[in-house]
Amino acid sequence: MDILPSEEEQMLKNVAREFLETEISTAMVREMELDDLGYPPSLWKQMADLGWLGLALPEQYGGQGLPLTYLGLILQEAGRVLAPVPLHSTMVAALTIAEAGSEQQKKDILPAVSDGGMVLTWGIAERDPRLIPEAMTLQATADGDGWVLNGTKMFVDNFVVAQRCLVAARTAAVSESSQGISLFLVDTNGTGVDQTALTTLAKDKQSRVDFKNHWVEASALVGELNQGWPIVEAMLDRATALLCCQMTGAARKDAEMAIEYAKNRVAFGRPIGSFQSVQHMLADMLLHVDGGEMLTFEALWKMDEGLPASVEVSQAKAFCNEKCESVVRTSQVIHGGIGFMMEFDLHLWFRRVTSWTMRLGTTYDHRARIASALLDTPGRVRLGMPLPTAV
Amino acid sequence: MDFGLTQEQEDLREQVRAFIAENVSQGLLDEMEGGEEGGRGPEYRELVAKVAEKGWIGISWPKEYGGQSGSRIDQYIVEEEFMRLGIGVGGAGSGAPAILAAGTEEQKEYFIPGMIRGEIIFALGFTEPQAGADLAGLQCRAVRDGDDFVINGQKMYTSAAHYASHIYMMCRTDPDAPRHRGISIFLIPMDTPGITVRPLWTIQSDPPAPMGTTYGMVRTNETFFENVRVPASCMLGEENGGWYVGAMGLNLDRVGASRYLISVRRDEDIVNWVKENDFGGNSPAENPAVRDKLAELWTEANICRLMTMRSMSLVNRGGNFTYEGSAEKVWAPEHGVKTTEAISQILGPYAQLLNGSEEAIEDGLFAHNLMGSFQSGINHGSVQIMRDQMARRGLGMPRG
Repeated sequence: MDILPSEEEQMLKNVAREFLETEISTAMVREMELDDLGYPPSLWKQMADLGWLGLALPEQYGGQGLPLTYLGLILQEAGRVLAPVPLHSTMVAALTIAEAGSEQQKKDILPAVSDGGMVLTWGIAERDPRLIPEAMTLQATADGDGWVLNGTKMFVDNFVVAQRCLVAARTAAVSESSQGISLFLVDTNGTGVDQTALTTLAKDKQSRVDFKNHWVEASALVGELNQGWPIVEAMLDRATALLCCQMTGAARKDAEMAIEYAKNRVAFGRPIGSFQSVQHMLADMLLHVDGGEMLTFEALWKMDEGLPASVEVSQAKAFCNEKCESVVRTSQVIHGGIGFMMEFDLHLWFRRVTSWTMRLGTTYDHRARIASALLDTPGRVRLGMPLPTAV
Repeated sequence: MDFGLTQEQEDLREQVRAFIAENVSQGLLDEMEGGEEGGRGPEYRELVAKVAEKGWIGISWPKEYGGQSGSRIDQYIVEEEFMRLGIGVGGAGSGAPAILAAGTEEQKEYFIPGMIRGEIIFALGFTEPQAGADLAGLQCRAVRDGDDFVINGQKMYTSAAHYASHIYMMCRTDPDAPRHRGISIFLIPMDTPGITVRPLWTIQSDPPAPMGTTYGMVRTNETFFENVRVPASCMLGEENGGWYVGAMGLNLDRVGASRYLISVRRDEDIVNWVKENDFGGNSPAENPAVRDKLAELWTEANICRLMTMRSMSLVNRGGNFTYEGSAEKVWAPEHGVKTTEAISQILGPYAQLLNGSEEAIEDGLFAHNLMGSFQSGINHGSVQIMRDQMARRGLGMPRG
């Protein structure tokens, strides 16, 4: 037990911070908001050359096989500078293929991801945005040697620049033996696939994706037919924990900007940071970022250890949704009027963190999951011990 | 990063649990329930002797003074298991860290083994009638007279004074120096002539709070010092350097199993209660608002746990705290209050029933906790003072 970063982890963090803070400016972040791709391919290539894109992927497919906590540290630093790269969506999909994909899928996808030649994403949410099997209505129907997909996926991250997209589709009704969901790896340029850009608070690249009679080969299936939901759940848990890394990284940087501002901004003849009301706001920001960070890394660590981590993931996201939001809002309050001028950079952090609170499960969704693990199981609970499992 | 225990540590926990099952008798629990002496009667002393024999007290303290030179995590494991029964063993919260850091060889050899045997118990003499949050304003005087000091003044909320063997107290030794630089710490036997202890009864005293209540102590004290003459060898650390010794000791004593558990036990209690009980078929566990609130509280309780683990990790790495101890002392007490007040809205009017009342739930634990949990945000440095420290020491904010 030592929950602080090890020397090696701290070194990785330092290297990542140095690189990202050198390469990424807020001018670049603003430029990429208007860019068709939304990311600079040269920067993506540099990140591949540093070994980051294959960091947590298996060694036999060109990766380094390092723990998720390491990838989490990179994503935290990426969040810190609001790195305009499709890192999160690509890593989440690639890790899923590494875990559940066929040999051919792994060979086709993972080395290409590692060397920066392929961007990935995933589409789960639909018009009912809950991330539960009941909300999956996109239909895949058997057709000759393959499947025909019809339906709509919402809020798909980086779809415009991804070559492949993992899509959860309904292939059967819910039954005793399965949720009737299958996962497909889809070519984003395929016939009958149309994306419509959404204009978001974060000014990022999210799409509605409509599938109209889009045909895929049988080999596009990831995992077993009708048994896709457990794969999706594992993917969403990883995605959520890694998103919390971005959130806490960005929120900490935002808090640091408020701290600097409070030291320098003079009002009533003294720095505003000397006022207790401001000091206590800053202390709460520190508590909230630290709390979110500890919950997040405990969840990632449990995944790395092969332990159940769904409750820990939901704790992290439920907390970050409320408290990272509180941090970036409080930072706006401390900065006063200048903080919400377009030319001032602070809103870049506010917009993204706020947007991320709505992605991959709301506070209520995640608390419902925690409550179920606490209350709908037999046996007593004790903090720090595994919760009882459902019958 | 490692969030898990080693196999040896898991085994230690099992050994402690087995020991408790075998050695903690109903007689001991009854003795503690009734005890004004913080439960430190004959049965308690017998248990502590057995625990000491196992080598489980002061595990992280050096071997030469009777500890094990072991890990703070191991010590924490022992503390947590006993503290879950309300039994304080293990050595945290005792003043030992400051003695180990600042004491003379003679003091360490005398006090640490005595504390491990359970024979030396300190009352804490910090607060005074006119110096609480603003501790550096303390006025209790210690005046040098040859090889002795003569102490005059008054200390407040000296909770253990009526059963302690010693008092760990701060006195002003140089009234002309700047406030923080004229204070010294003394370790004084309670039977020294001139010391008078007067009880102060808390709001938990009528009826007495049940075991396990957060700040369920029925009694504290005020302690008067009238021409109390002690040898200069009672001083801990440098003369006039006591503020810094005290601050360090407070940081180390602020964290650990006791702080953690008083803030989170009610989270476990209410979840387990609603799982096992209902109001004639009306189950709070099925109320969506209650479910959402319990999940929120459980999440925040886990941050209490993680903050404690962070502090234990820091102690193991040499104890270099900047703001982490203060952070824990903000988050944990405020969480305890939040849970306690939420429980009153989950159980409704049942949560007002005190110990001994007909229809009381869990011996009135939840009602008494409403009178106790807020105390943890006041005692040993209020949450407001702790936030000041976080901002100034942790974030470098200027003083007002």
